[in-house]
Order: sequence, then structure tokens, then C-alpha cells
Amino acid sequence: MLKNERWLVGLHILSAFFALFWGALMGPFQTFHRSPAFVAAFPNSTIPIFSYYYQALTAHGVLNALFFTTMFITGISYYVAWRSFDRPLVGIPLAWVAYVLELVGLIAIFVVLLNDPQRSAVLFTFYPPLVAPPLFYIGLVLLVVGSWLGLLVVFLTYSAWRKENKTARIPLAPFGVMANYIMYFLASLGVAVEVLVLLLPASLGLIQNTDPQLSRALFWFFGHPVVYFWLIPAYVSWYTMLPMQSGAKRVFSEPLAKVAFLMLMIFSVPTGIHHMFADPGISSTWKAIHTVFTLMVAVPSFMTAFNIGATLEIAGRNRGGKGLFGWMFTQKWSDPVVAAQLMGMLQFITGGITGLINASAQINTVVHNTSWVPAHFHQTVGGAVALTYIGILYWILPMIRGRALYSKKMALAQVYTWGFGMTMFGHTLGEAGLAGVPRRTLSGLSPYLSEAATYWLNANAISGVILLVSVILLYANIVLTLFASKEPVTEGGYTVTKGDPTTPAILERWGLWIGVAVFLAFLVWTIPFIDAINLTEGFQILRYSPAGPAPLK
Amino acid sequence: MTLDKYERVWLTAVGGLIGSFMAALMVAYLIFDIRLPTFEARVDPANLSSTMFANLGVKKRAENAYDVVMLAKMWVFDAGKDGGSAGAPPVIRIPRGSRVTFYVTSLDITHGVYVEDHSINLEIVPGQIARQSIPFNRPGEFRIICNQYCGAAHQGMYGTIVVE
Repeated sequence: MLKNERWLVGLHILSAFFALFWGALMGPFQTFHRSPAFVAAFPNSTIPIFSYYYQALTAHGVLNALFFTTMFITGISYYVAWRSFDRPLVGIPLAWVAYVLELVGLIAIFVVLLNDPQRSAVLFTFYPPLVAPPLFYIGLVLLVVGSWLGLLVVFLTYSAWRKENKTARIPLAPFGVMANYIMYFLASLGVAVEVLVLLLPASLGLIQNTDPQLSRALFWFFGHPVVYFWLIPAYVSWYTMLPMQSGAKRVFSEPLAKVAFLMLMIFSVPTGIHHMFADPGISSTWKAIHTVFTLMVAVPSFMTAFNIGATLEIAGRNRGGKGLFGWMFTQKWSDPVVAAQLMGMLQFITGGITGLINASAQINTVVHNTSWVPAHFHQTVGGAVALTYIGILYWILPMIRGRALYSKKMALAQVYTWGFGMTMFGHTLGEAGLAGVPRRTLSGLSPYLSEAATYWLNANAISGVILLVSVILLYANIVLTLFASKEPVTEGGYTVTKGDPTTPAILERWGLWIGVAVFLAFLVWTIPFIDAINLTEGFQILRYSPAGPAPLK
Repeated sequence: MTLDKYERVWLTAVGGLIGSFMAALMVAYLIFDIRLPTFEARVDPANLSSTMFANLGVKKRAENAYDVVMLAKMWVFDAGKDGGSAGAPPVIRIPRGSRVTFYVTSLDITHGVYVEDHSINLEIVPGQIARQSIPFNRPGEFRIICNQYCGAAHQGMYGTIVVE
């Protein structure tokens, strides 16, 4: 193994899981404090480490959804570029700078959250006029700049590979990684403008006012595509790593997988207004238009469901499965790497369906900002994405460390407790949302809960116990694998270095597809932005801290 | 590149499904006129005295048609004298069968308005007026809940609508 690449991949993935540890650990305690029964039984208990509820919630969102995902994706993208292009990475120094930036960003977030719990509790959407201390935004900027440098390393490596392979098709895995990065870069421009032009100066006191509606528009230009940024690496694993891990050898249809990646790249950005269906400053016409694109972006996921389903059927039949459903039972349910991804897919069925419900403009009114929404995204990002990343960890960590996973049984117990716990979490929190429970609320203290709401929140805390067990199993196994595992592993893993030659060449004309993506983004975002920008009446809103109703001086 | 037979069937079904969802949403939007909140007007929270929010409360516009003009702030809804004593969660009384139009804005940061068992759900973004109109046909008490995180005491921000 190449030394730099091995360290880069290993450190990124371990740092990502370090962030996830503190973030994920908060989750179960949040379910406890949302439960009226728990709060009545233990009125004086606090959450460990990030002891203030909204501080813990901010840590949970920022560490899990921003740092865990981004650092993991940077690492796994390096791995894919290195192994699939079958050459050393180009720009190793850049890659190290990227790592250091992301790591310093992570440390900054810990410092600000621990030092200033009240003021930094702005949650991971950091909507103004709430303004956190500058270090909060600086941490995020370092993370995003680091991820941009990671992107650059992948594209430099691609361009070196292209010079050596003029006519070859791009292997599927780096194709997905590149489509992901292009989409992410376009989307991240929105949040970059929001943070650098509006929020960081407001936090530093350089400007006294904010414009919440404009900020929300800029944030959601980024905020929806970013969930696909987290999801696409999971798809890359399902399309290109799972076929080998499960015994199917290759994906059912590689060209269609590439079409799915391109569709995700193109249709992710023109969808963000569906997060602002209830906003007063966005016209209902543009809400309707974004609804159409949001439904469009479900199509590549349906294509993926067929393609992966067919691939798994081949795997199941190779392993002796017979009949219409027999192949489902002959999957490697007792291999943690495969089982984690299969459990993730099962979560994605409910996550996807609830997503379609959220996207349906008028129906969204019933669920918007209720706890139904976190129920939904804990099936997608907390279920499908996190479980797939965990599956990848169980597969890649032994290769990088050179030692076998410490305990397969522990890993299996972890996968199934996570899968079951997250399913129960989703169901109970979703029901609570339909009973009127708002999201991001310390509901255990709320005076307005109905009987049904109370029941489901108490049930939700039980799922928290199961998930806490899962978190402990996961990290015990990681630490033991790193330091106590004796059994050596010889190098193996990812080997597909050739793209399917029957793939139509037009799918690989990046310039064309970037053009389409940028054009669509302009088409459906220009007017909402013009509506949101108002130089005479906008930018009038004072800055506030979550701690109290007096504006910041 | 060839398309598998079953894959073609699947993709056609998916196209039909997504297409019918889009059609249903568009019919609801264009024919039944079920629309999401749209751009109403800007307002400066520092100068509410010259706006409709100078006069908070329940206003009768016509037979069975009411406006509720409300201010959201950390951490109460303010519906003026019609909501009961100042600083306490407001109780708003509405006759059964009326259509109520809510006009809400924020004095400070972003809040939310959600009414139990009714189709109203608004982000209350400072600087903007949020408006939504809904019928109240069933008698009972329904909670108005702030469903957007608004700081330290967000969990206690609510009100009540009594449909008589």
C-alpha cells in the first residue's frame, strides 16, 4: 500500500468517526430529555459533556451531519481515486493541508461549543438573526475549504489518469465520486456566500444587521444538495463495493448507474426551496417549481433501487438462493460489512417514502418543522448513510490498519441494534410529529403535549437506549481493532479499475453536464434570490443570541 | 448500452408514479387553489407601531371571517388584549365555522406557528409578514405551537385556540 494514501484515508476516516462519537453519543440523551416520563423520573439529570440540551443538539448536528460526513467523504473519495484509477494521488501536499484544515475546524467547533454553550447553540442550520461566536463559523469555513482542496486532489488525480488512459471509460466508483464533488462544489457556493458575506462579519461585529430570509435562501441552496453529498458515497459503495462484498462480482447495469449519478448531480441543486415551503418571503410559484425538481431527484434513487436489487439478486442466487424470494435469505446477513449496508437500504425505503411525503408541497404543511422531519432524516442520513459508512469502516479499517476486525459478533450486534433502534426511533418520533410535537425542542419540559405526543416521546426514549448500546459496541470495536487485534490482514479490497466500455461516451462529457447543472441552478434560483434581496428594506434585522431576547450590541 | 426488459417496466412504473404525484400536486395548486404561503410584505421589527402589528388581536372582517394579528417573540405569542393577560400564553376564541386568516411576524428571531389538527404551518421570519388562512370547523381547544427553534426557552412557547 502507498504510505501517504494509506495514512490520508485512515486518518480521515478515523477523524470522521471521532466526530461521530461525540455527536452520536448526544443523540440517545436527547431522546431521554425529550421524554416527559424520563424528565419526571430524573428531574435533575443533565446530558454528559455538552450538558445544555440545545448545546448538545448543536453538537449532534454539526459533528454528525457536517464533520463526520465531510471528513469521511474526503477520505473515501481519496481511497476510490487511488484504488480505482490505480495510481498514486496527485497533490499529496494539498491533501495533507485539507486534512489539517478539517481537523482544526473540528477542534474549533469543540472549543466554541464547550466554552460558550449558550451563545453557540445555534444548531447546525445556524439561521440568523441568531449569531454564534466567530469561532463557530471559522470552524465551518475551515471544514468547507478543506473539502474543496480534497475535491481538487481527486480531480487532479483524474486528469493525470485521463492523460494515461485517453479512450478508457471512467471506472464507476470515481465517476460517482466526481459527480458528487461537482454537485457539492456548486451547492457549497451558497453557504460560502452566506457565511463569509453575512454571518461571519455579523458575528465579528463588522456589520450590525442580518437578513434572515436571504440567509435562509442561501443556506438551502446548499442545504438540500448536501444531503445528496452524504448519500452518493453510500450509493458508490452499494454500486461498486457491495457487489464484490456480497458475491455478485459486478453491478447489474453500470451505464444506468452512471445515468443515476448524473441525474443526482443535475437535479440536487434546483430543489432547495422545498425546505422553505412555509417561508413567508418565497413565492408559492417557485415553491411549486422546486417541488417538480424534488420529485425528479427521486427518480435516480428508484433507478438505484432496481439496479442494486438486481445485483443483490445475482449475489443471492450465486449463493444458492432459489425461487422468487429465496435470494433474499441467502445474502451475507452474518457479514457485518454486507449486513450494515443491507440494513441501511431497508432504512432507506421508509426514509425515501417519507421524503416523498415531505416533498409534496401541500402535504408538507402537516409535517413541516414537526418531529416527523428528524424522524425522516434519521432513516436516510442516520440510517442508510450512517450504516453504510459503518459498513465501509468495518471493511476498510482492517485493510488500513493491517489487522482483522476485533470482533465480528460485536459488529453484527452493533449493526442490528442500530438498524432496529433507528427504525423504532423513526417510527416513534414520526408519530410524535403527527401528534404535533415540534422538532428541535426540549419536549420533556413542554407544557402543551397531548396524550399521544407524550406516549410517542416516551417510546422514542426506549429507542434511544437501544441506539446507545449500538454506539458503545461500535466504538469498543474500533478501539480494540486499532490496539488489541492480533490477526494480520493481507491487502485486499477494491479492484475494479476499468469502466464498462459499452457506456455511452456522452455520459462522461463533464463539461456538458456541469453546464446543464449550472443552467438549471440559475433557472430556478435567480428569481427567488432577487425576491429575497432587498437593499432598502432588507438587512434591517438586529443580531440575537439564543440565550435571551435582548439584541446583541 | 441496452436496457433490461424488467428495468424498462420498472422505470415506466416509476415515471408513472412520479408523474401522477406531480399531477396531483399541480391539480391541488392550480384547480383547488391549495397554495403555500407566498410573499406578503416586509416589515421592520423596529417600527411595528406604524404597521398592522400596532393593533394585535382578533379582528372580525365579515360574517364568519376573522383575522388574527399576532406577534411572535422570545418566548411568547402576543395576541394583544384578545389573547388574555400580557406575557402569558394567549387564548384566542373563534366561533365554530369561521375562516381565520393569520398575520404573524417576529419581533426578534425566527419562530414558527403550527396549530394542532389544522393545516397551518408558518415560518415566522423576522422582517417578513407570514399569512395563512384556514377554516375552523370542529369545536375544541387546539394548541398553537412554536415549531421553529427560538433559543433557550423555545420548548415553552405556545398558545391556544378555542373554537366555540
